[in-house]
Amino acid sequence: MGYDYIRPASLEQALSLAAQGESALIAGGTDLLVALHKKKRPAPGRLISIRSLPELAGIRDEGARLRIGAAVPLADLLAHPAQARLPALAKALGVMGSRQIRNVATLGGTLCNASPGADAAPPLLALGAGVELAGPAGRRTLDLAEFFRGPGRTALQPGEIMTAVLVPWPGAGTQSHFLRRSRVAMDIATVSLAACFGLTNNRLSGVRLAAGAVAPVPLRLRATETFLEGKALTDETLAEAAKLARADVAPISDLRGTAWYRRELVGVFLARALRAGNGGKP
Amino acid sequence: MSNPHFVGVETARPDAADKVSGRTQYIHDLAVPGMLWGAIRFSDHAHARIKHVDTSAAEKLPGVEAVITGYNTPEVRIGFVRDNFALKRDKVRQFRDEIAAVAARDPETARAAAALVRVEYEPLPGVFSLQEALAPGAVLVHETDAKGRPRKDNLVPVRFAHHSGDLEAGKRASKHIVEGEYRVPLIQQSCMGTAGCIASFDTRGNLTLIAKTQIPFLAQKDFNRALGALGLEGRNTRVVVPALGGGFGTGLDTHAYEYIAMLLAWRTGRPVKILYNREEEFAYLSPRQSATARIRQGCDANGKLTFREIEVTQDNGAYTSWGATFPSVMLVPATSLYRVQNISFESKIVYTNNTYCQAMRGYGNPEITWPIESSMDELAELAGLDPVEMRLLNSNQPGETTPMGLKITTCGLQECLERTAAGLNWKENRGKRRNVKRGFGLAGLINVAGGGKIYRSDGSGIILKPDDYGNVNVSYGGVEMGQGLHSVLALTIADTLGVRPEQVIVNQTDTSTCPWDVGTHASRGAFMACNAAVMAARKLKARLLEWAEEIFPVEVEEALAKARKHPGFKEPDFDWRGNCRPGCFELSDGILTIKGAPAVPELQVDFARLLRAIHFRRQGGGTTFAEEAFYEPPTELPDWEKGIGNMSATYAFGAQGVEVEVDEDTGEVKILRLVAAHDVGRVLNPQTLKGQIYGGLAQGIGYALYEEVLTDKGRILNPGFTDYKLPTAVEMGFPIDVQLVQTNDPEGPFGAKGVGEPGLVPTAPAIANAVYDAVGVRIRELPITPEKVLKALQEKRRR
Ligand SMILES: Cc1cc2nc3c(=O)[nH]c(=O)nc-3n(C[C@H](O)[C@H](O)[C@H](O)COP(=O)(O)OP(=O)(O)OC[C@H]3O[C@@H](n4cnc5c(N)ncnc54)[C@H](O)[C@@H]3O)c2cc1C
Repeated sequence: MGYDYIRPASLEQALSLAAQGESALIAGGTDLLVALHKKKRPAPGRLISIRSLPELAGIRDEGARLRIGAAVPLADLLAHPAQARLPALAKALGVMGSRQIRNVATLGGTLCNASPGADAAPPLLALGAGVELAGPAGRRTLDLAEFFRGPGRTALQPGEIMTAVLVPWPGAGTQSHFLRRSRVAMDIATVSLAACFGLTNNRLSGVRLAAGAVAPVPLRLRATETFLEGKALTDETLAEAAKLARADVAPISDLRGTAWYRRELVGVFLARALRAGNGGKP
Repeated sequence: MSNPHFVGVETARPDAADKVSGRTQYIHDLAVPGMLWGAIRFSDHAHARIKHVDTSAAEKLPGVEAVITGYNTPEVRIGFVRDNFALKRDKVRQFRDEIAAVAARDPETARAAAALVRVEYEPLPGVFSLQEALAPGAVLVHETDAKGRPRKDNLVPVRFAHHSGDLEAGKRASKHIVEGEYRVPLIQQSCMGTAGCIASFDTRGNLTLIAKTQIPFLAQKDFNRALGALGLEGRNTRVVVPALGGGFGTGLDTHAYEYIAMLLAWRTGRPVKILYNREEEFAYLSPRQSATARIRQGCDANGKLTFREIEVTQDNGAYTSWGATFPSVMLVPATSLYRVQNISFESKIVYTNNTYCQAMRGYGNPEITWPIESSMDELAELAGLDPVEMRLLNSNQPGETTPMGLKITTCGLQECLERTAAGLNWKENRGKRRNVKRGFGLAGLINVAGGGKIYRSDGSGIILKPDDYGNVNVSYGGVEMGQGLHSVLALTIADTLGVRPEQVIVNQTDTSTCPWDVGTHASRGAFMACNAAVMAARKLKARLLEWAEEIFPVEVEEALAKARKHPGFKEPDFDWRGNCRPGCFELSDGILTIKGAPAVPELQVDFARLLRAIHFRRQGGGTTFAEEAFYEPPTELPDWEKGIGNMSATYAFGAQGVEVEVDEDTGEVKILRLVAAHDVGRVLNPQTLKGQIYGGLAQGIGYALYEEVLTDKGRILNPGFTDYKLPTAVEMGFPIDVQLVQTNDPEGPFGAKGVGEPGLVPTAPAIANAVYDAVGVRIRELPITPEKVLKALQEKRRR
């Protein structure tokens, strides 16, 4: 198995190469190369590396939000002081693969790969993140919730490249939690869930929930969010919310777990995430 | 023997540095000049008639040297009951059936050509579960037996049973009876090194096979028989064993891929290598059997066992390997784990269209210890006894003969149980931590530890050949597959002969240079090898010391003469001349001297110098040395239908206990700590011994909590480590307390017992018992997944 490997020096060059088709973008390659090796996707004519494009590098505080270059390796993000303000995201990144994987895998790569179980997706969804795309038709930004279209399918148009992930800073008093189960360590999630919310005088506000590996795409749990908004955090609320969350998701049974178990866990994780708001063990 | 200098001392194994630095050559690293690569075309159906095989497209692919099928090669029958063929004709019975094979210049071309072979099938309905296969009128996997006689059912024609005492009387004498059905899944041996071989022929038709095997000599026999099928009667197979990246039972049979390499090599006249990648290993190599066991056990009002009744049904898959004989080993714990009279054991081995299975470490023992030790806890609860008390009350004792006729010599079961319980602070903890969902569980074990006689001879030969430089070259027919066999051989030979372990060099296993050995299985490697080594080393030492009578005075006189030239030399104050008799010599750490002599260099003869002096004897008539010994343990080949016979020279006992935490919301089971107490007879090398126990534990934990080959109508769904889960370092990240109980077995080399398998035998029931203690649900089907635990908890809540 051999490919032409091209390393453009600028985003502009990369875009014009990508526009010629017959190619695949490669960042860390931890999803792409595995898929090619296992023949799970057709072999492209050539690989265009976007790893060292300056436009896709760097982590920058833009005041209201954090701008994370799409080609930033997970390990760099985990080592950045910003991660302290995004605990749910940091927790998700911290369980992705192994240290070796995190040294090369990128944030843009995992989003563009669009696995329903991608660990970084639920916290970013719950944080209300957006993505910045550049393509032949120019630049655009998109809410991350609009980006995922199905397993392995995204809103990326042919020739488009994700340049950055934009994470609005959570407001003061906002908490974020991430829960996940996998069969063993170094495994794709069976279920993951992230929650962002405020809790004042035991009342919930700004609730945003997202779950992974329970639907064709990483998913916001909108009905559950709506129900919880403004509610007091009581056992009854939690029980009702867990029920709604289980209805919000559409899991399948596969080798990692049954649909039944996934539904069970979504409810359990939701309750635990919210209880963590009062100092419970997430 | 005086106190050993090396046996029992923590010593780095001789192969460690080469393995860590990547110098060890596995089958993956080996190539032979002119070698071709073989690839196999496997079946696309679990059960079908083969209507037509078209190899023309494959033959046309550039780089292809030969394409063979069952139709253009002689029939080569293989397998334990000869129900399998190297290449299938007429019918396929499982997804991995070999239909055609290609030899080509590189592995990619070979695989591409194999894919070009066109096969037309007529699909047949299949049987994929025990129920389907045993149902009246079930589709037959094999319509005829090996002799061509029609078959009427799907039972493999081998029977292992045991009936002793009076079962009904035992039931009447019972105050409490428990009953349950327990299941174990299909699992993968998961060797780090995948399967492969290189076959080559000389012009006379002799075959050399570099094979990843644990049974070089039985393999030689199998392949010589296959040479007969090629019209090469009387020709020989030389089996050479490369460094093995794990065996775990996968090397107890000869495999179709090896015969295919042989056929391709014969057809092309060139060496042929076949090597499986990980997916192929999962899909095309035999895993460990799944099985179902029904158990009934009873005890009297005091907790004494009154009877035990077990029926096992094992899914054999489509063909029969040695692994089908798991029930032969199940007999040991079924009849002899704890003292119980009135026993009934029956087993069925059932053909299905699932992948055919083979041996794995433990060989039936974990499968059957799982129900026995789970139900022991249930019985203890009914009897109102603590599980440890219950087991101590029924514990085996030294000197007893069990219903199977096993002669228990040394027995550390009681001490193992006590030390495991102590290690967990059992009394304070067990049954008392439910509030925090913590539980404590324990299970015991018995295992063959002095061979396991399942063949005419259970013996091992060894040759020790010293050279002029003081090295002792060892030719041994058993196999080092990572377990540390070469390490313990070096230590026992060093101590018995009186040299240093570095002077002992264990050569590659090769049927042309090593004496016969039945195979490295049944925890017998170190026990047999070291017993044979002690015998041979003693013979060698006796001969050397006879020679010493002549050599020692000459060498010492010469050394003294030289020394006297130095001013100030003092004659040693010792009558060495009067003590130059074999009984007075001492050979130790590679130095020959006289007992009680002062430690001066003039009175010491180096081992190498001694050997050279004998070899190059000045007055002529010198000699070189080699000593051979064959150790055959004092055991019996059991009568399998009666289940009677002392199949091992000694038995290992042990107990493992765990503390677990169960997450009641998710069903997850987390191991917090583990104590493993094992009766090992005597420690030969603490490092390799603990390695065996740690490795066994990891496999036992995998079996208990994570591992399962998933199938759908015979097709394997998770052929790789992405979805076949072994515990990782994270899951194994709890404290393990290994307690070595030394019972000093009279038949063991230096008192040692076999330790290869026990580490994984009681792990699963210990964990299941701990889960029950934590949250009150009993899981009877491995692996104990969070889903099963959560379901059981929900059912319990509903009740
Ligand atoms: C051993 C192992 C363990 C893993 N464990 C986990 C885990 O625990 N959790 C988890 O979520 N994931 C896991 N992964 C998956 C993977 O590591 C992550 O999804 C990773 O972040 C992908 O990033 P990458 O840079 O390697 O992507 P690549 O493989 O380079 O790319 C992935 C896909 O995205 C496209 N792409 C990449 N960057 C861009 C861009 N900027 N614009 C447009 N398209 C782009 C590529 O063309 C490709 O189709 C694991 C992978 C391996 C090999």
